[in-house]
Amino acid sequence: MTPAGPKQIIPVALLNVASRSPVVAELWKPITEKNLADWEVLWAPETAGQLKVLHQAGIERRLWPQSRKWDWRQKQEAFRGRLDNQSYAVMQGGETQAMMIVDLSARARLDEQVRQHLVYIDFLEAAPWNRRTLTGGQPRFAGAGSILLGAAIELSLEQGFKGRIGLHSLPQSNDFYANACGMCDLGADENYSNLRYFEMTPEIAAKFLKKGA
Amino acid sequence: MNSKLNPEWCLAMAEYELGFEVGAGAMALDPMPELQDENEVADESRLALGRFVTLARRKSGLSVEALAEKADIDVGELLSIERDAHHLPETRTIYRLAMIFGVSQKKLMGLSGLTKPKDVRYVDEAIRYAARSESIARLSKEEQAALDGLIAVLSDKQE
Repeated sequence: MTPAGPKQIIPVALLNVASRSPVVAELWKPITEKNLADWEVLWAPETAGQLKVLHQAGIERRLWPQSRKWDWRQKQEAFRGRLDNQSYAVMQGGETQAMMIVDLSARARLDEQVRQHLVYIDFLEAAPWNRRTLTGGQPRFAGAGSILLGAAIELSLEQGFKGRIGLHSLPQSNDFYANACGMCDLGADENYSNLRYFEMTPEIAAKFLKKGA
Repeated sequence: MNSKLNPEWCLAMAEYELGFEVGAGAMALDPMPELQDENEVADESRLALGRFVTLARRKSGLSVEALAEKADIDVGELLSIERDAHHLPETRTIYRLAMIFGVSQKKLMGLSGLTKPKDVRYVDEAIRYAARSESIARLSKEEQAALDGLIAVLSDKQE
């Protein structure tokens, strides 16, 4: 069963985009029943509303949020109890702002670190109100993605993987991983819905952590 | 291990993150609005299914509990079929109901939304018949006619 409460809480902060002011937040580990309930009660209706607007506005389908059908409860259930999976949630104002599930059994693909252990980010998603909407709305909070990536890097360090992480990016996020995070782009993966695969070396990971210090 | 992700670090990183989208993992390719449209169609045909089951049950003089027992299906599932057009029934339930009421399993499956019917004419007809029926204690002449129509449409004889 998904735990009722987190085993670990780390104080973090998010940026309120409208007021450009900091807000107190928490990083929870692992994902709890509360986070899954938020996904069902808060995220899903918000996403449906955004999609309706996109649909009515005639926005091309390829531009819609690609994670729109993920079922976090199903994902969490699938990973529950597996020692090689861990999960995180960013909380603010009593609401889940982003979630992530990682896999510790994956190996690196990049030539310089091929077959070395890394933390592979199976799923990462921000709450729909924290995403730029294609119809002009601005996100409520910024920073949850970096917090989760930072958590994945720290987990990699803890596991002795030296900060190596890997992920398959959603199409609208390629720019973030390539340019904001400086990750290595290994191109589209035809075995993974043609999503682009990105990897972080120990050097890039150290640079990422140092960037905000 | 002490986390480096202190609030100051988070805020500095949030500034870099502004204007970007974050997300990773396998994506689902089917667009939700299309699914919603399909669901709306399925809801309509499930209304007809629910109406058919109610009428056929009442014609047999069975209560919900009695029919559930006779068909060896869950009472809650049967109630959902009769009253909730959003409810997607179990395959086995539909097979059992088709058997009890002597109609085509294949067509009842199509009506339930469990399969996509190749020929949607019988679904449209079933919806029309269901729309004509009214809920009253005993089957009225119109209800009987609607039920006869539903049975005719859902039997294997009319292909």
